[in-house]
Amino acid sequence: MSSDSSSTSGDEFTNPNPNSTSKSLEDQFASAALTEPDNEPPEIQESPNGVVNGSVGENNHGEIESNEREGAVGSNLEARQSARWRRTNSEVEVEAPSSPSSSGYAGERGSSSASGSSVGFEMMSGGIGGGDDVEIQEVSNVDSIQDSQASWVPGKRHVDEDDASLSWRKRKKHFFILSNSGKPIYSRYGDEHKLAGFSATLQAIISFVENGGDRVKLVRAGNHQVVFLVKGPIYLVCISCTEEPYESLRGQLELIYGQMLLILTKSVNRCFEKNPKFDMTPLLGGTDVVFSSLIHSFSWNPATFLHAYTCLPLAYATRQAAGAILQDVADSGVLFAILMCKHKVISLVGAQKASLHPDDMLLLANFVMSSESFRTSESFSPICLPRYNPMAFLYAYVHYLDVDTYLMLLTTSSDAFYHLKDCRIRIEMVLLRSNVLSEVQRSMLDGGMHVEDLPTDPLPRSGTLSPHLGQPRDSLESFREPFVGIGGPAGLWHFMYRSIFLDQYVSSEFSPPINSPRKQKRLYRAYQNLYASMHDKGIGPHKTQFRRDENYVLLCWATQDFELYAAFDPLADKAVAIKTCNRVCQWVKDVENEIFLLGASPFSW
Amino acid sequence: MASRRRMLLKVIILGDSGVGKTSLMNQYVNRKFSNQYKATIGADFLTKEVQFEDRQFTLQIWDTAGQERFQSLGVAFYRGADCCVLVYDVNVMKSFDNLNNWREEFLIQASPSDPENFPFVVLGNKIDVDSGNSRVVSEKKAKAWCASKGNIPYFETSAKEGFNVEAAFQCIAKNALKNEPEEEIYLPDTIDVVGRQQQRSSGCEC
Repeated sequence: MSSDSSSTSGDEFTNPNPNSTSKSLEDQFASAALTEPDNEPPEIQESPNGVVNGSVGENNHGEIESNEREGAVGSNLEARQSARWRRTNSEVEVEAPSSPSSSGYAGERGSSSASGSSVGFEMMSGGIGGGDDVEIQEVSNVDSIQDSQASWVPGKRHVDEDDASLSWRKRKKHFFILSNSGKPIYSRYGDEHKLAGFSATLQAIISFVENGGDRVKLVRAGNHQVVFLVKGPIYLVCISCTEEPYESLRGQLELIYGQMLLILTKSVNRCFEKNPKFDMTPLLGGTDVVFSSLIHSFSWNPATFLHAYTCLPLAYATRQAAGAILQDVADSGVLFAILMCKHKVISLVGAQKASLHPDDMLLLANFVMSSESFRTSESFSPICLPRYNPMAFLYAYVHYLDVDTYLMLLTTSSDAFYHLKDCRIRIEMVLLRSNVLSEVQRSMLDGGMHVEDLPTDPLPRSGTLSPHLGQPRDSLESFREPFVGIGGPAGLWHFMYRSIFLDQYVSSEFSPPINSPRKQKRLYRAYQNLYASMHDKGIGPHKTQFRRDENYVLLCWATQDFELYAAFDPLADKAVAIKTCNRVCQWVKDVENEIFLLGASPFSW
Repeated sequence: MASRRRMLLKVIILGDSGVGKTSLMNQYVNRKFSNQYKATIGADFLTKEVQFEDRQFTLQIWDTAGQERFQSLGVAFYRGADCCVLVYDVNVMKSFDNLNNWREEFLIQASPSDPENFPFVVLGNKIDVDSGNSRVVSEKKAKAWCASKGNIPYFETSAKEGFNVEAAFQCIAKNALKNEPEEEIYLPDTIDVVGRQQQRSSGCEC
């Protein structure tokens, strides 16, 4: 980007002048270049070993991707029909609204029937890395080709395994929840009861250290990390050989704990106070899918480490129209009204002064999307937003407006079902009348920002000329620099932009060469490492970071307004990459009306 | 519904070192016996599935070390136990005398809600040794002690020959079932709109 200052300067607080920021990025790198050797510090380079291991496990990701696509196309008709049919019956179902005594989840434990199917490649690439592994990996690669066609199967895998199984021991990433008496509550793989002995061992380790007035946070054993998180009477443990940073794994345990609270609230602590023998598993009955889906999202959803949410790109007026009707019902006693499409927000509104944390949104959306029962009827379920109030339940009215789009109305009143149903009918009518739902469908098909469309040097900022997301992409004069064959200009492959004030991020669509699920997962892992090192309390926080390894050039730039993460071709030129990042920031500014939810009251304070 | 639910029972095995706790476990879980003595370090953890009155139980067995130097582990290990098995050697008077200490120590450290009725089981092990000729604790004496402590069920076992081991553990499952707490309705609070003001100020940092 040229450093001429032709563009108008915006509000310094919400609209930092892109030219001034671009200068500062280049300046920062200019000075950094003097002190930094070209080779990155070893600890941030992925070892070749890790790359090989990582690449195999990535197949998991493919499954959800393809699941989403298939879900959108294949089951569309059927789901709608059944939804319509169920809707006429809904009053009957509601006669007995789910009481707070249930976990609020209608599924059955049996829904984890997918257990037998072998989708777990992670085991194949198990951390030992001996000669055997090579062979196994080849096998699993073959599997992955088939499996990536199939859907990601929700629910628990490999229930038949226990800690004596070789396959169980080879899995790359385990998650456990147990009580402080050592009783198993949840295990990602294997049957909890069969793992009772293993669970007891984990408790013994934690309790032994606690007895000495200390706390165990991390144990490294070879290339495995064992991460512990103690939350009162609940212990959470991750055992991983994925080489993710400790902070990331710990963050994932926090989210799993949050997911548990979302289902049960912190009142479970009281059960343990009254009765240390308390067995929590029945309370979580049927929620295996919720946890496995959350764990799966650790490898494809950047919201899990960015602690921000993302919006579906929509014309400003369209989002405004959705927001207006949500605001309307929020004024009638609804605490939060949220309209989402898959994991992307269309609009959301909170009652006066109520604020919603992005992590709560992530956990709520995961809960709703992973529970099949929400798709087929309108539901009213007690849920807890752990960042809002971990102690108590709210009630969520959930209704799917189409296959991917769902409305959530949260209230404090347990008998508000009929009121919320009326609200939903009103909202649905307005959304249909103002074409919001068809715009949502269109946006889903068009996708968001594509690196190939990154505009060249900023045009004069008169709205019409700046590239708009809503326009068909071929009408854009997309500029491609000659030196790259694939990706965007200057070898830009992908970027993520996180707005600090908005609590939102935008991520570019995946383009070649990041076009396979495994490459996408690998890139997310790389971003996650980058994020962790940028926010490292010991050596950070940092303002900029530039890494080059055999996979990418990664660039991160953090200001008090935003964080930008960008991935380039590993041969990309540093100076050009930096200029390109400035252009990305400019681009995001230009289209912020469409990619972000602006002026959403819940976040603005 | 509730009756079909599998139950997990945490079972703690206590007793002097060398009375055969680990051997009993091995006989029970793996149907194996070894004459060689191998001291347990800290604790061993075993899992055994048991069927009792058409209910499935998983016994999570905490085989603890008998040596005194491991006693400090107590609080952590005993927490949330469903049953405690006290083992002594019928050929060693001291191991029988110590049962009282083990029982009291357990009740202090585990502090169960109803200590009077906490389910214990007492096992007199090694009845096979020397065809019973070296025996120093009579069955009568042992049973009398058990009766005085609230009718603790008593079994004479031989880990070596596998005698009575199965029956002893069936009894553990039975006791746990008897002691099963009333299913309480899980009913957390609902957010109080009035109280929300407070919660926000303390809880929401975003």
